[in-house]
Amino acid sequence: MRRTGLLLSVLVFVTLVFALSSYGQDIPIGFFAPITGPAAADGASAKHSVELGLKEVNNAGGIKGKKVDLIIYDDRLNPQEAVAIANKLIEKDKVVGVVSGSYSGPTRVTAPIFQKAGIPMVAGYAVHPDVTWDPTAKKPNDFIFRNGFLGEVEGAAAAEFAVKNQKAKKISIISMDNDFGRSISAGFAMRAEKLGAQILTKQMYKFPGEKDFRPFLTRIKEGNPDLIFAAGYYNEAASICRQAKELGITSQIMGEEGFDSPKFLEIAGPAAEGVIIATNLDRDDPRPLVQNFLKNYRQAYKEDADMVGASSYDAFMILVNAIQKGGTDPKAIQKALLETKDYNGLTGKISRFVQGEVVKPVQIQVVKGGKFRRLGVVDDPEIITPPMKQ
Amino acid sequence: MLWQQLANGIAIGSVYALISLGLTMVYGILRILHIAHAGIYALGAYVGWVSFRLIGDFWLSLFIGMAGSALAGYLVERFLYMPLLHLPRIAPLIVSIGLFTAMEEAFRIVAGPHTLAYNAQVGLGDLVIGSFRLTETQVLILLVTLIILVILWAFLTKTRTGLAMRACAQDPETTSSFGVNVSAIIAVNFLIGSAMAGAAGVLIGVYDNQVWPTMGSIPAYKALAIVVLGGLGNIPGTVLASIIVGLAETFFIGILAIPFPRDAVAFIAMILVLMFRPYGLLGKA
Repeated sequence: MRRTGLLLSVLVFVTLVFALSSYGQDIPIGFFAPITGPAAADGASAKHSVELGLKEVNNAGGIKGKKVDLIIYDDRLNPQEAVAIANKLIEKDKVVGVVSGSYSGPTRVTAPIFQKAGIPMVAGYAVHPDVTWDPTAKKPNDFIFRNGFLGEVEGAAAAEFAVKNQKAKKISIISMDNDFGRSISAGFAMRAEKLGAQILTKQMYKFPGEKDFRPFLTRIKEGNPDLIFAAGYYNEAASICRQAKELGITSQIMGEEGFDSPKFLEIAGPAAEGVIIATNLDRDDPRPLVQNFLKNYRQAYKEDADMVGASSYDAFMILVNAIQKGGTDPKAIQKALLETKDYNGLTGKISRFVQGEVVKPVQIQVVKGGKFRRLGVVDDPEIITPPMKQ
Repeated sequence: MLWQQLANGIAIGSVYALISLGLTMVYGILRILHIAHAGIYALGAYVGWVSFRLIGDFWLSLFIGMAGSALAGYLVERFLYMPLLHLPRIAPLIVSIGLFTAMEEAFRIVAGPHTLAYNAQVGLGDLVIGSFRLTETQVLILLVTLIILVILWAFLTKTRTGLAMRACAQDPETTSSFGVNVSAIIAVNFLIGSAMAGAAGVLIGVYDNQVWPTMGSIPAYKALAIVVLGGLGNIPGTVLASIIVGLAETFFIGILAIPFPRDAVAFIAMILVLMFRPYGLLGKA
């Protein structure tokens, strides 16, 4: 009995020492991304960029003298995995805030968990509306913020540019059949039709799995559209551009942020030339913040940064900025995030968050000489202000 | 558009044929469902990709890819299936599934999770007649498939080994009693079937310009459906079934414009065949 008592007190002591040693030291921030699995290129890009941000913050002395401790998990693009990660981040790692460097699928399932726990999360580039919105209670997840665009907003901005600047009158749409493809192409179609363009065909392809787009493209070719809007990720995007060129299709191809990866340029090769995309990163932005990031990234990882990385970096920095203002209490961080105003982000100036949705200009880039270059910016408030959810 | 879609369908159907033939030949002779065949297919694509990177000649990389797959197929037969042949056929099936999963993971670990671009210069050129266009990669697929099928046909009907192989498929014991080395015939069978799968891997690598670790996962089960459709072990039936599946998929998407998952087509066809023609399209009861 006495021995049990002794053992118990030792145990309590050890636990206390551990608890104390971690207290008052680093600021734990959680991070998850699809580091392996089908989206590994994006996962790596997100992780690399956030680690770059982490180094910058800690090298500059951390937040009010405390170092930031980034706790990284791999969700393998698997929502079940993401749920486990969210619970671990809350209960085991006791993070004060979270950055999602992942897609809609994993981000969306973690949002209600962080919301319930009252831990703020900033999502880098997940597009699904239900990341920031609770569809059953019909109210915003007010602890969740999004640095990327809502699918509808990005789609609408792409349509604005396609119809107004590219003068596209006849348009065909081909999109991947998932949250991402559906929401972006719906936003595109609505805006394009409103501006008077005619949508010739709307097709969806299975994701993941579809590789042979020739049957779809042959049908598109029949209508000879001015522009093809393609919503999908870089592998599919590259296949579509290549196969369209093979089939002798000369219509302008327009894509979205899913194209925004060095992998797209590599696989599509010369077929990428001239492709226009709506995205969340302007490589030709002269601000030192942007040019330094692009330079540091290339130096550190020997490849060019992309939208996914830049957006995740921004998400991390937005959270760090809020901790700097509000302190390490999650509730105070949330308050600071809600009060974000005219924040100078890597992916553009964020005027504010509306129901957790970012308000900032959408970048239009074109592939020139095997690189993404600036073509335009869509900053019409009517388009870039996210619609109020209800 | 009809002609173009026909070309699209026959091209993809030809690749299905190259993959499924090896599977049906193995089943015909050993009665094993060789799931790892899809891994051999992906391996061919990787070997082809690596040799293209090293040598820079597409046609040579095609041959090396085929050789690599043939060798792998032979090793699987000799060291995995042969020792298990005295067991019920469920044992090699389980081994095959396990091997396939292991191969996919091995590709991911060795070559990385990313998609690799083949970016090959084939040097054939498009075939353009009016508004109809057979793209360079489609010309390549049709040409290679045709050559392989003609060689296979000549081999099976005109040579003694081919004759012995067909005899083995019907009755290995009687064939053996005529002095035929059955185990050598089985090895040749695996070599040929795997080389064709390797060719399919390289062709898809060029057609899609992508080589990726899980590229075998859809063919693994689609080829199975095609083989059943063609009548297990029936070679002309398998070719016919592959082309039909390729065309049906293409027409569902490109002409009927039914938003229908392409990979379901082969299985619906398989179910129909099992219900109405259980011996396959060309099979006899």
